[in-house]
Amino acid sequence: MKDSTVSRPFIALLYILTFILLREWLVLITEVTKTGYLSLFLLFVGGSFVLSLLKVRWPLSMILKLLYIVWAIQTIYLDGTKFSISTFSYIIQSIPSDVPFILTGEIAKVSNVSRTLVFFIFIWMLVYLIRYWIEVKQRILLFYFTTIILIATADTFSEYSAENSILMLMLVGLLLLGLLMVVRLNVKYEQSFSMRKFISIMLPLVFLLSTSSLFISFLPKLSPIWADPVPFLKAVVDNKIEENPAVSKSGYDPNDTQLGGPFIQDDSLIFEATVDRKQYWKVETKDTYTSKGWEQSGVDSLPREIALGEEVLSEGTAVQDLRSAQLSLAEEFPFIIHPYGLLSVDSAHEATIYYDRFMDKYKTEKNGKKFPLNAYHMTFNEASFSLKQLRETALDELVVNRELEKYLQLPDTLPERVSALAQSITESSESVYEKAKAIERYFSQDGFLYERTDVAIPTEGEDYVDQFLFDTKKGYCDNFSSSMVVMLRTLGIPARWVKGFAPGELTHSSEGEQVYRVSNNEAHSWVEAYMPEMGWVPFEPTIGFNGVSDIDYDIELSLDDPEIEEMPEEERNEFEKEQEKEAKQNTDEKRRFNLNDWIRHNDYIGVLLSGFLIGLGLLLYFTRRKWLPIFTIRRYRFTEGNWGSFTTQYHQLLKQLDRSGIKRASNETLSTYAKRVDEHFGVNHMRKLTFVYEQGVYGEVKEAQDWQQLQEIWEDLIKRTSD
Amino acid sequence: MDYNKMIERVLENIERVMIGKRDIAKLSMTALIARGHVLLEDVPGVGKTMMVRALAKSVSADFKRIQFTPDLLPSDVLGVSIYNPKEMKFEFRPGPILGDIILADEINRTSPKTQAALLESMEEASVTVDGKTILMDQPFFVMATQNPIEHEGTYPLPEAQLDRFLFKLEMGYPTQKEEIEVLRRAEKETTIEKLSAVLTLDELLALQDAVEKVIVNDSVKSYIVSCAAETRDHPAVDLGVSPRGSVALMKACQAYALINDRSYVIPDDVQYLLPFVFSHRITLGSEAKYEGITTAEVIERILAKIPVPITQASL
Repeated sequence: MKDSTVSRPFIALLYILTFILLREWLVLITEVTKTGYLSLFLLFVGGSFVLSLLKVRWPLSMILKLLYIVWAIQTIYLDGTKFSISTFSYIIQSIPSDVPFILTGEIAKVSNVSRTLVFFIFIWMLVYLIRYWIEVKQRILLFYFTTIILIATADTFSEYSAENSILMLMLVGLLLLGLLMVVRLNVKYEQSFSMRKFISIMLPLVFLLSTSSLFISFLPKLSPIWADPVPFLKAVVDNKIEENPAVSKSGYDPNDTQLGGPFIQDDSLIFEATVDRKQYWKVETKDTYTSKGWEQSGVDSLPREIALGEEVLSEGTAVQDLRSAQLSLAEEFPFIIHPYGLLSVDSAHEATIYYDRFMDKYKTEKNGKKFPLNAYHMTFNEASFSLKQLRETALDELVVNRELEKYLQLPDTLPERVSALAQSITESSESVYEKAKAIERYFSQDGFLYERTDVAIPTEGEDYVDQFLFDTKKGYCDNFSSSMVVMLRTLGIPARWVKGFAPGELTHSSEGEQVYRVSNNEAHSWVEAYMPEMGWVPFEPTIGFNGVSDIDYDIELSLDDPEIEEMPEEERNEFEKEQEKEAKQNTDEKRRFNLNDWIRHNDYIGVLLSGFLIGLGLLLYFTRRKWLPIFTIRRYRFTEGNWGSFTTQYHQLLKQLDRSGIKRASNETLSTYAKRVDEHFGVNHMRKLTFVYEQGVYGEVKEAQDWQQLQEIWEDLIKRTSD
Repeated sequence: MDYNKMIERVLENIERVMIGKRDIAKLSMTALIARGHVLLEDVPGVGKTMMVRALAKSVSADFKRIQFTPDLLPSDVLGVSIYNPKEMKFEFRPGPILGDIILADEINRTSPKTQAALLESMEEASVTVDGKTILMDQPFFVMATQNPIEHEGTYPLPEAQLDRFLFKLEMGYPTQKEEIEVLRRAEKETTIEKLSAVLTLDELLALQDAVEKVIVNDSVKSYIVSCAAETRDHPAVDLGVSPRGSVALMKACQAYALINDRSYVIPDDVQYLLPFVFSHRITLGSEAKYEGITTAEVIERILAKIPVPITQASL
């Protein structure tokens, strides 16, 4: 990149302002896509700017950036292992399988690692472009304009809110435009302004901007005059989908004995939840796999009776982080839909809760009859789980008592290969937790597809899990969760199948309170595995669903499990300390890139994104004058000169000259043009090249030229065109 | 053989008497070695005759001059058979046309009959007198001049006959600086008589042969043809350039390439020579004349329209 005449500190100021703009992009993208690790990406951008400020040579800066990307990916995906060669191999392994998906545009199948990699490369390119805009072009309007459009669109169409940032963006952008204008004036008059002159130019600008923005911030803001177009658009889209006659609808169905088959979306409301953040909603668990679906072996004959408002758990539990949730139901269910770590339930209606510890289900009754509550308030507390402790879980420590035994049940007809597969997946994992994680991860790596309509039903003699794992490899949550439970059981790890609801759609958000709309679409199933000495830990094998960010399954333990009660006090304290220690790591774990889900639910954002990519492509196309010669030169540097390569080089030079604004009229002869080009650059290269070219084309003299020298002349000229 | 040196010698020789007319000298030389003829059109006194004489002097060739007048007869040009009483038979006395380099001064002053005699011999390179055909030797180079402003008592050459000339050139006035130099020379009286021949007849013939060997790539040929075709389709033009015109242009280009020390023709040659070759071969329509469009403008437009070939054509 060409050096500009502007001083470094000034450039640094420009970079800081640009960073503020770019930060908004990343905030937006991470928020809309529910990606975590904003700080990691911001650090990357900041680091790139610093490297270019320090004028680090490109090979070194490239290596540094690559190393950073690898480190970041390992921080995100390989929870806390040491940075080593294995990270590289992990990344390299996951890329080849994704390349076909990226090429064919099947974004949903691409694994998270590749996505993150691509995202990093995208940021890289963006930073490069910005550097080019600032240091060479000294223009930023295009980027600024794109930022505003992007923010405004995202504000309209997604849950992202630009309320706080839009004013600052306008301010920073206008300031940046003003500063760059000064830079351009500098360059134009080939002199740098004195500090006094600079201040005299900048003062009115800063004054104008600050007063006007202050004025704006105190002005009353009118609400939009036009109706919000989003609900209308959504309604149109949804109606179309519902016209499709299908076998079944998604939703909560107490009967799970026959799983499989297609279903279509059903957007009817189940309940609305007011809670402080995203939450998975649990209903019950099931223990018996029938090779076609799930059944419950038996109900608790002596369910514990809990009065409304009464503590669900025994007294004396240290409450660390008491949270509450308010549910109002649109459909009648005679049970409590609860988050993990339920402490108490309260309702305006009278009812008694019976806790079935076999199904982990809270049934509501009144006068001995099933009684659905239509609104209730819950307090709950999700206790965290130590990752270290999870890693120490060993299968031989497992004591299988009568209660756990039924969670190892498997049908006799289960094909042998399911167990063999489970073995091979978990071969390299040591602890029970890591084995479970390996299985959970397996689905996102081995070509599995989230699919709603084209899902097979196992026929007579076929096994539901076997069919999914080996034949179809596509399905929805039931396929994934059942398969994981079955695989865990083949390894001797007690596991059960959990039914409930995914967090739903955020409809309203205010200070500390978020309202989620949970529809039949959100009906979901996942997995709980029993960790020796720790208890039931939830897992989310369904690709596209993001269990981590929502139920914190690998670090938090539901308090309603008896095991945690049995934890000695000392251990508990230690456990808390560790939790703090690993807090950073854990918060990172909580969020995970979830493009899959996001693409499915937010088609319009997909359109936006592809629009943006097209824009980026166009930009690259229009700036090709700058970067194309680099490749062209490299291509020919080591080829042996001959007439054939010379003609292609000459033609590329013509194209490049055309791009750089010295256009050859169609009626202009080459020698006239060459003269003009040489006058422009103050050399006689083009004439030399043209003479040789004309000799070949019109005179058929194609041999005995000093190709080496011509190559040098050509290279010199093509470099000049890109400056 | 070093053709370029020969040509350079001639051009330098001409420049000793002609000031600032190197382009015309070059074009005349081009016509000479392309075996074409030149029509010089300009007002009197700009050096038309001087140019032809200088060229003729530089080449050791037989130079003849015909001053055309209204009463000039074809026999005055071609030659006549006179009865020799001593030998008791008719004897052919060759006319000035049978020289090597002929200056046909003020060609439009003579009657069409005489003009036709001259122009026919130019095209055929032979003279027919009394039923006998006499082939002319090479070189045979006619440089005709005509005065464009006098109309009284002139006989404009018909289009078909204009076609016989390879180039129609206009001398143009010298620049101020050049004219001062002309005056300075006039003082010292470096007359044309003092010029000596710098090119032998054999050398001239060798040059003429070399011209034919200059390469014209198919892409350049198709460029020439496209330009010629465009004159035929142009709305302002009544009569476009004939295929003979295209051939003439190609030959001229070959010669010009040789003069520029090249063994191949480039589109630049075509662009440069096209006005001189085509301008007298195009007849504008009455509408175009009425609108004040000139031949030069039409040619300029054609050149602007036809794209230059920059790759080898595969015909």
